[in-house]
Amino acid sequence: MKRSVKIILAAMLILALTIVPTGCGGSQGDDVSTFRLGSSTSFDTMNPLSSYMQVTYEFFLLVYDPLVRYDEDYDTVPCLAKDWSLSEDELVWTFNLEEDVLWHDGEPFTSKDVKYTYELMMDTGLGYMYSSYLDGITDIDTPDDYTVVITTETPKANMLMNTTPILPMHIIEGIAEKDLEIWENEEPIGTGPFMYDSKGDNFVKIVRNEDYFGDLPEIEAFVFVDYENIDAMAQALMLGELDGATNLNPAQLDQLQKDSNVDVISGTELGFMQIGINCWTDPQSKGNPLLRDKTIRQAMDYAINKQKIVDMAYSGQGIKGTTLINPGDFYHYEPQGAEMRDYDPEKGKALLEAAGYIDRNGDGVRETVDGKPLEFEFITIADNVEEVKSGQLIVSDLAEIGIKVKNITMDSGALYDRIIEGSYDMFIWGWGSDIDPTVILGIIITDQIGGNNEPFFSNARYDKLYIEQQAAMDENERQQMVFEMQRIVYDESPYIILVYSNNIQAIRSDRWTGYNQIPDEGLFFFNMTSLNYMNIKPL
Amino acid sequence: MHKGELLKKLIYACITILIVLVFNFLLFRVLPGDPLAMMMRNPRATTEMLEGLKQFYGLDQPWYVQFFTYFKHMFQGNLGVSFLYKAPVSKIVVARILPTLLLVGVAELLAIFVGIIIGIVAAWKRGTKLDVGTLSFSLITYSVPTFWLGMIMLVVFCVGFKIFPTSGMFTPGMTFQTTGAMLHDLMRHSILPIVTMALVLIGEYALTMRNTLIDVLSEDYITTARAKGFKERYVLLKHALPNALLPMITIIAINIGFVVAGAIQIETIFSWPGLGRLMYEALSARDYPLLQGIFLLVTVSVVLANFLADITYSYIDPRIKN
Repeated sequence: MKRSVKIILAAMLILALTIVPTGCGGSQGDDVSTFRLGSSTSFDTMNPLSSYMQVTYEFFLLVYDPLVRYDEDYDTVPCLAKDWSLSEDELVWTFNLEEDVLWHDGEPFTSKDVKYTYELMMDTGLGYMYSSYLDGITDIDTPDDYTVVITTETPKANMLMNTTPILPMHIIEGIAEKDLEIWENEEPIGTGPFMYDSKGDNFVKIVRNEDYFGDLPEIEAFVFVDYENIDAMAQALMLGELDGATNLNPAQLDQLQKDSNVDVISGTELGFMQIGINCWTDPQSKGNPLLRDKTIRQAMDYAINKQKIVDMAYSGQGIKGTTLINPGDFYHYEPQGAEMRDYDPEKGKALLEAAGYIDRNGDGVRETVDGKPLEFEFITIADNVEEVKSGQLIVSDLAEIGIKVKNITMDSGALYDRIIEGSYDMFIWGWGSDIDPTVILGIIITDQIGGNNEPFFSNARYDKLYIEQQAAMDENERQQMVFEMQRIVYDESPYIILVYSNNIQAIRSDRWTGYNQIPDEGLFFFNMTSLNYMNIKPL
Repeated sequence: MHKGELLKKLIYACITILIVLVFNFLLFRVLPGDPLAMMMRNPRATTEMLEGLKQFYGLDQPWYVQFFTYFKHMFQGNLGVSFLYKAPVSKIVVARILPTLLLVGVAELLAIFVGIIIGIVAAWKRGTKLDVGTLSFSLITYSVPTFWLGMIMLVVFCVGFKIFPTSGMFTPGMTFQTTGAMLHDLMRHSILPIVTMALVLIGEYALTMRNTLIDVLSEDYITTARAKGFKERYVLLKHALPNALLPMITIIAINIGFVVAGAIQIETIFSWPGLGRLMYEALSARDYPLLQGIFLLVTVSVVLANFLADITYSYIDPRIKN
């Protein structure tokens, strides 16, 4: 026994000696022009028809081309469509396509691909991240290989915001329609500035498309790396294993700010975090009926110290919330004067007093005339640290004005069930948004009850404006409609929008240059544009 | 063991697997949470899309129809399609088996070996400083939270000494010129998670080994052996150890069976592409087919490991054989 122990120990020692000197932290330097980006979201599938992840959206943006793209101010610029025109009646769009564009497998790109992609998505509902942009299209015609004529039912205000990737007809045609959902697209073929190269257990690599019809990317290769553990991701960035990182947390922001090799930003991300309140008046509703009174909802809005939530739950990385569209956006409406409900618990109390909600039995909780207490159940998602912290702050804020909320936590799947059944009072969750306001405005239209309309909100004027703004070709006219929609929601308060939270991202500035926050206060990555991927280059 | 008995045990094993599978199916469906929720809580989604998806994945069917479809397909070797990854479950699971076997398998072997040696030494030198030292070590590693230990290892060895990379199995996006280079990269990535995992496991083996050996050492036949004048080491190795190893086999068999279940915490800290992480992802997404696929694999291996332990028992312990 003793001898065998010695042998084993010797073997272990040898093993240790062989590994330690050769191993070292840091990038392997396989080539200087490869950028590795860490993210906490991973690829679900490489199929643009059925994927719905943040990171795959970026991937499709680079491997495929849309007809048009966004520039750094979110204005439309040509991509596969070199120019376009709109008919007098604003119903017929003619797109002239780039000629000499090749798919990555060498096949020529034509107008048939555009028609095929759009019709496929419209007919099947596939392309979950894109197909809603095709709403209202009635006909697509291809008079020749480089012209696409799109006819719409009514004028389509978001036609030039449609960045749906154009897919290769010659490949997808060969797949049975019923298999498209689970088509794995193992070798994605696009026309984009980058080509798919390889994937591994935790990464996907793309390389520069040397035959790209437009300006070539500055870098040779880009690797998306997924991290389960964002602390490890931050460490990997500081060690140089990664060149960039996204979805970092505020603690890491402080740490990275001290690292002179790293350029770290906390940029605005489209979307918000909100309290949803059950407004459903149907007999099936299992929400507390008191919450159908908007006075109570507004009083809660007054009572919640949103700045404190930003500071304490989000470590200052966000902006306190008001309306559905992010501040800084052309379509954002900021409530004015008396309409604005800044933090003021006294006003909240006064509203409740005036409506007859008074603490009649001295237990600190207000009651209605017939003795029903203002007591609600309040759900937060257990594994979302920021939301749980916000929930705790809100409980004490509301207690201040005599509203008792019982905070319970569950996982997102369980909460979703409760929401769909309408068996909840209040919850905290968030929404990601988009550049076209239609997307976020659409979540609480009456048609979405049973779907995205979580508060079961229904307002005829809102629904009408929702339809009309989609056909408002004049930007200013559309803005006025969208403003009014936000005012309606702010007044009715089915959602109390708490925070527009930031995304914290970083790049190794000792190695890379040529990148920017997009738009000005925005992000390096996940900003709906391909600009940083195209422009970033080694120092 | 008689052939008849072997067959009986085999049949029991199959029945166990079947019962567990039925139970799993029902368990996941009792869990609150709509699998399509996470898929489609998307502001760009329409209600029609949701309906289409439900239909595609058979979620519009009542649970008993889904139940029979699942079993029918399983016996045809089809484990279904993952909601999350939109690919066949078997394909996804198979890709994760090797990383998990590498991580947990090697860590288990290392822990069993080191743990048994520590246990023997501690029991033999009972009451000495060596015993107290190894006992404390075992108790600490046994009780330390895995996640915490992992983070400490990461900070010390990756950030402090910069010896190992922080995550994954290979350097992402790297093209390897030779197999040697690939193996070297794999080794650099795997040592830290394996050692961390082994540290967590060693305690259990060491403590069990020590306790059973101490029990055995107080038996009368050991005293007899000593009285006969055998050398202390001979008594330990030939008389005490074989008897003390019996309970170890049970523990080892159970743990080996769970090897395929992976190690959720270690795999998460080191972003290791194993089955444990996959199980967690599948659970968060309520990806029923994927969950069922993983549980099928885990169930089969646990039952199989126990079955093999039963057989091994009858060979090394003559009392059971007769």
